[in-house]
Amino acid sequence: MNRLTRLSSALAVAAMMATTAVPAFTAPAKAATLSGGFDVGPGGFQGNFNPLAATSGFTWLSTYYEPLIAYDEKLQKVVGVLASSYQVSDDQRTYTFKLADAKWHDGQPFTAKDAKFTMELAKDAKSGSVLAARLKAVSSVEAPDDKTLVVKLDAPSASLLDTMTKVMMLPEHALSKIPADQLAKNTWWSTSPIGTGPFKFSKYVTDQYVELTANTDYRGGKPVLEKLINRYFADPAAAIAALRAGEIQFTYVDSNDVPTFKDNDAFKVIEGDSFVVNYLGFNHDSPIWKDLKIRQAVMHAIDRNAIIQSLYGGAAKQANCAYVADQLVPKDVDPYAYDPEKAKQLLEEAGWAEINGDKPITLLTYYTTPLAANVMAAVQAMLAQVGINVTPRAVDTPTYNSIVLNPTPDVSQFQMVFAGLQNGPDPGSINVGLNEKQIPPAGPNVVRARMPDLTAALDAALGETDLSKRTERYQEVCKVMNSKLPWGTLWVANRYGVVSSKVKDFIWTPAPGGGPYQAHPEKWSLAE
Amino acid sequence: MLSFTFRRLLIGSGMLLALSLLIFILLRLTPGDPIDAYIDPNVPMSPSDLAQLRIQLGLDQPLPFQYLAWLKEAVTGNLGYSIKRFDQPVLDLVLSRIGPTVLLMGSAIVIAVVAGIAIGVVSAVRRNSVLDISFSVFALAGISSPAFLSALIGLYIFSVRFNWMPSGGMLTPGAEFSIGDLLHHLILPASLLAIAQAALITRYMRASLLEVLNQDYVRTARAKGVYEFWVITKHALRNALLPVVTLIGSTIGLAIGGAIFIESVFNWPGMGLLLVDAVETRDYPVIMGATLVIGACVIVVNLLTDITYAVIDPRIKVG
Repeated sequence: MNRLTRLSSALAVAAMMATTAVPAFTAPAKAATLSGGFDVGPGGFQGNFNPLAATSGFTWLSTYYEPLIAYDEKLQKVVGVLASSYQVSDDQRTYTFKLADAKWHDGQPFTAKDAKFTMELAKDAKSGSVLAARLKAVSSVEAPDDKTLVVKLDAPSASLLDTMTKVMMLPEHALSKIPADQLAKNTWWSTSPIGTGPFKFSKYVTDQYVELTANTDYRGGKPVLEKLINRYFADPAAAIAALRAGEIQFTYVDSNDVPTFKDNDAFKVIEGDSFVVNYLGFNHDSPIWKDLKIRQAVMHAIDRNAIIQSLYGGAAKQANCAYVADQLVPKDVDPYAYDPEKAKQLLEEAGWAEINGDKPITLLTYYTTPLAANVMAAVQAMLAQVGINVTPRAVDTPTYNSIVLNPTPDVSQFQMVFAGLQNGPDPGSINVGLNEKQIPPAGPNVVRARMPDLTAALDAALGETDLSKRTERYQEVCKVMNSKLPWGTLWVANRYGVVSSKVKDFIWTPAPGGGPYQAHPEKWSLAE
Repeated sequence: MLSFTFRRLLIGSGMLLALSLLIFILLRLTPGDPIDAYIDPNVPMSPSDLAQLRIQLGLDQPLPFQYLAWLKEAVTGNLGYSIKRFDQPVLDLVLSRIGPTVLLMGSAIVIAVVAGIAIGVVSAVRRNSVLDISFSVFALAGISSPAFLSALIGLYIFSVRFNWMPSGGMLTPGAEFSIGDLLHHLILPASLLAIAQAALITRYMRASLLEVLNQDYVRTARAKGVYEFWVITKHALRNALLPVVTLIGSTIGLAIGGAIFIESVFNWPGMGLLLVDAVETRDYPVIMGATLVIGACVIVVNLLTDITYAVIDPRIKVG
């Protein structure tokens, strides 16, 4: 009996402790390799290698591809990348780019012909380009010599430069033989892509990671790191586990995870403007929101400051229109202070009891994080106090889109939405969400805002060719939004990344869609 | 026998066809299509930007036509291309995932069987000892904790807290392939996946062995002066194992369900991770292809089992 039980006990204990008995086999990664979750979070796009199809993921793509122009690291102004300089004609219809001396990763020179080739692919919806609609205003692209690219427009467009930051240059000599409509399906993107950036594509291990190696001929100087690795994670929580375990040195983190890193010397928290304004969208096809007083009552009923302090840890700015940047918000906007009594009075005046009373109102959202669930619960409780009975419903993105983008929508499914929309760095970004001409299927004006003065203000701002007047135009947009309330605007929250203290000269910001912005990956380094 | 096999194969193909039709219909009833999954509501992007893409993917065609078009290609072995990963054929994606999943599940089953039987034997032999009671508590906890919970707790303890195991993935990124590296990544998810199954086997093993130990022939063996070790291994264990072996077969389904959670938590590049990701992005071709391949595997395994039975036990009539 003893022999048997001893043997069995040993086996049993060994099996239970198997996880502890195996020593670490792997050698630590070399110091010159930086690993990160570069495609984690809202700015990332894991598994996409094609910049023409990228709605996000530019932080990673711009480590080996480069656009002609990009935002600076603060997302304040547009600067040259592959273009050493650019000029815009007085009538805002001709953009001339002077190109830098650059080489593709295979040694061939980058020329204006490549730039023209790329622009034409990006304009062609057949290539699967998601930029095609935004480049519609482009009437011609010319390459008068190897170092000059001239882009001509039918009409001035305030957003062309912003769109151009997302056009990653592609090599004509490698791609011209592939028909445009076969391009998206080609394996080139994930097996042997070449760009002009500081790192070169090395390999992709399906759904595990992408590996890049230093481009020693980079025109901005030889990168300090030897390798750059982008690990894939099913969710931010998995990336945080890897960060804490020391397997990666950087990842995006959700704001409720930030406090656990704040007092830890081993990590540095990077905070930045999300450039996404959160709002309660009134479905204007629903008769219950017709009266402006009711929409005002919603604004007064919600204690935005309390939500920001207690749920966002103070890291969000109240929004009284789509913008929060000082230069875009006029001084005299209504701050809609928290005042439940006033809200009740407004509802009374509007006759809320007859319009809807306490019938439940669906509040639809695609935000499924714990933070969003708490925000929805707070909003529900605050609105209930004044007599508006909302029922939150969180669904996944495809379900949300299929409901709100439906050309013949079922209003009862989304009388109200809790959503967000990019409001910068180009303030014109919000146009699609509010302009009457953008009601689905034409565009994503999901709240079906039909406000002639708002549409007029947006059109005037987008069409303004005088740069000095543009800010004024957007102030007007803000003013109309603030008084007419197409949305109940809530706040613009910050977003976060966490990087190991060992990483030096690292530039990252939670840019919408991941950028592109000038991150200078060639300068990133890792201390021993 | 030949006509039996042929008939079963025919029925199997019919079932696969029905399965594909069922999944096709279920998928189209799910709200949202791949293009809806592609649009980030936070980014100023128009549905019209993607209208061309919808046409290119054939999503504008009537449903019966879409199904027949898919079927026509599928019978020739072309399962189409992934919608999320434009450039990757579904068949390659699915085939490359079978290996990792089989490795993970196989290791988990081995761990569960070895640990479960060993712990069960100890518990039975040392009935009501402190060891037995603590193993019983472990078994109860193991059976009651869902895979995603034990996965997260295991991840926190072994990877984040003590840093003994990698937190996810199958190989160290950037490193050369080595068996040691693979095992190092495998052991934690496989052990966690094994917990529920091991706990179940432990309880069956303990109960079954206790019953056998009270049998007359065991007493006879002891009375003859056989060493206790041989009494247990030769006389008792063999008989006690029979119901446990039946159990092991039927818990393999448990492992498949658990594997989907474990693969998501540990980023293990298997079928589970592929399917979860495909459902989130409404990647129709991948969902169809993956379910079809899983279905085909199940049908083939069942067929092989039936044939094996027929070969082993001639009393089962086939043909």
